[in-house]
Amino acid sequence: MTAPTGATAPTGIDWQQVLRRRSFLEYDARARARTLLDEGSMRVLCGPFDRLESPWLEPQGVVPQADDGVVIARGTVDDQAVVVASIEQGFLGGGIGEVSGAKISQALCLAAADSRVGRTTAAMLLLETGGVRLQEANLGLNAVAEICSALLELRPLAPVIGVIAGEVGSFGGVSIAAGLCTRLIVTPQARLGLNGPAVIEEEGGVEEFDSSDRALIWAIDGGEQRHATGLADMLVPDDADALRAAVREALAAGVLEPGSHRSERLDAFASRLASLDPARPPSPADLRTLWGRATVPAPAQEAGAAKPTAATRAASGDSRGQTWLAALADGVQAKPVIPSVLRADTHDAVYLAVVADPSNPFHRARQGQVGLTECLALAQSIRQVLDQDADAPSKRAIVAVVDLPSQAYGRIEEMAGLHQAIATTVDAYAAARVAGHPVVAVVVGTALSGGFLAHGLQASQILALDDPGVEIHAMHKPAAARITLRTMEELDKLAKTVPPLSYDVHDWARLGFCDGLLTVQNANTPSDADCEAVRRSIADAIDHARGGPTDLSNRLDSAAATKTRAASRKVRQLLAQQWTESTAESAEDGPAHGPG
Amino acid sequence: MQTLTYRFPADLAPRRRVHVGVVASGDLEILLDNPPGSDVDTHAEVRVRTSVNGFDTVWHDVLERFFTHTPLSGRWQLNDFGATPGVVTLRLRQVVEAATRTEDQT
Repeated sequence: MTAPTGATAPTGIDWQQVLRRRSFLEYDARARARTLLDEGSMRVLCGPFDRLESPWLEPQGVVPQADDGVVIARGTVDDQAVVVASIEQGFLGGGIGEVSGAKISQALCLAAADSRVGRTTAAMLLLETGGVRLQEANLGLNAVAEICSALLELRPLAPVIGVIAGEVGSFGGVSIAAGLCTRLIVTPQARLGLNGPAVIEEEGGVEEFDSSDRALIWAIDGGEQRHATGLADMLVPDDADALRAAVREALAAGVLEPGSHRSERLDAFASRLASLDPARPPSPADLRTLWGRATVPAPAQEAGAAKPTAATRAASGDSRGQTWLAALADGVQAKPVIPSVLRADTHDAVYLAVVADPSNPFHRARQGQVGLTECLALAQSIRQVLDQDADAPSKRAIVAVVDLPSQAYGRIEEMAGLHQAIATTVDAYAAARVAGHPVVAVVVGTALSGGFLAHGLQASQILALDDPGVEIHAMHKPAAARITLRTMEELDKLAKTVPPLSYDVHDWARLGFCDGLLTVQNANTPSDADCEAVRRSIADAIDHARGGPTDLSNRLDSAAATKTRAASRKVRQLLAQQWTESTAESAEDGPAHGPG
Repeated sequence: MQTLTYRFPADLAPRRRVHVGVVASGDLEILLDNPPGSDVDTHAEVRVRTSVNGFDTVWHDVLERFFTHTPLSGRWQLNDFGATPGVVTLRLRQVVEAATRTEDQT
């Protein structure tokens, strides 16, 4: 794919064109959506007058927006049906909450449903977001998992085009969705990454990432770099006409062959990782030469962090993840896929856990964080099970044993595209679920943020131990307090009335996506009775998964969800209703809008 | 956050419902509609939610001045994220423009 004129070097800038252009970046979310659609074809669904506000903001003293900061619109591009989800970056930094997330995932689900019955509807995702909205923490995190699942449902049927124009760029969990898109369009003003620079600095110190170093941020996360290293497909200048042309081209190219999406190319990902030496990380400029734009695997190379170099090096320690993996696999010896990813195969299930590896060559992933190599090892293991069971009458269960501090917050991780690495894992888990493998997650320790999105949140059944050491959240408490401008005490107090904010597993279980809170005597050193009870619960969950839906809809239909996720359910119902009503119509939406 | 409600006499009916703006830093969004069955034909019912507490008087004065000049009736909702009085007035004027235009255009 070629970039339109003017997108390349500064020397190539045509100033006349720059002066004539209409800056896309200056538009709000609605104007961006309108600009990319055929003129007069836009029809907004669940718009501001439906007043689908977030129910969680006012109780926290935050002013809501009437459409919760996401514009959903149907329309056409070159007369082809398209649905657009455009995130308003001005509202809470584009953060994804319960309502805005449900709007996006439902729009993708409805497009998939229409595409299945011959009314092919493509999608455009205009991503400008800091990621999960921390005021709605756990509901936002789950919303991202649902967006990824719905995107993967649509992607084989119709193209899903991601557009990141700037100024906010795309960070956090939503960037995983960007990594799943059929094609990704960026401008030089776009940024794309999993962990924002400030978060890495908070978690890893200024020597890990200096968030005041603008040049460094752009060299790593910037649109030009992501394009040059093959993590985005098209680089387009900030020009509304050029972006519209790019979108037309991307949509006209249609869907990709199964197996050829960036998030499915484990061979290319593995060969890229093998060329990366964490002890001598390349500069961002060197990475362009090292990797280039190609997504096909490079010739086999010597050395490599991705290789299980130290299969003999037993991952030491006695973390909960290891303890429970051993307990649940019932006598089967867990083997390292790589030292930090353990796998145990029983006759009817495959257990996977990410564990600490003090000698991990990637130093930010030594305590059990989900980093680049962990994502690859997980994805490869899952894909292998998928291939082996392709013709099996009963597919083996995949059980994610979850005890992980978070994703890896590091400079080399961002440079190499941790969002893309997690996308491969998310893609693999979702593919297994859709193929009919019962996918069960059992949270035995901490399950935080992007780590949980990678390893756990694509499961069709999620179990958690009822234990104070079990903590599920979108961000570590100190960081969440800093970013929402609160003290930790204030956060704890708010969490009592706003359940998605809570770090308490009981509150998490009230959100609607817990399929079992398991009582154990000792979560650190489980007794035989504890192990037996949890094994039985997993067996039940596997049965449920076999008989249940292969999407994530049970997270909306559970008893807890009907209560706590009332807003999600209302969004889904209203959007479906308006979708049906709009099917026959094609006119511009009702209310008049000012130029703002 | 503070919620303020005001009621001003107004007899100019909007031709259509209008939405402008964004709840972004230094900005606000305004929704104006005229739900059937209410008495907002003769009044402007204004509900302001603002992120900045303690500006009740300023809000009252800005709105009173506006509705004295422009008695546009209906149900008004202002979601404010720290807009200055100048920005508030600009957004209000945008609503008037869109709500009173004769031709039906975007």
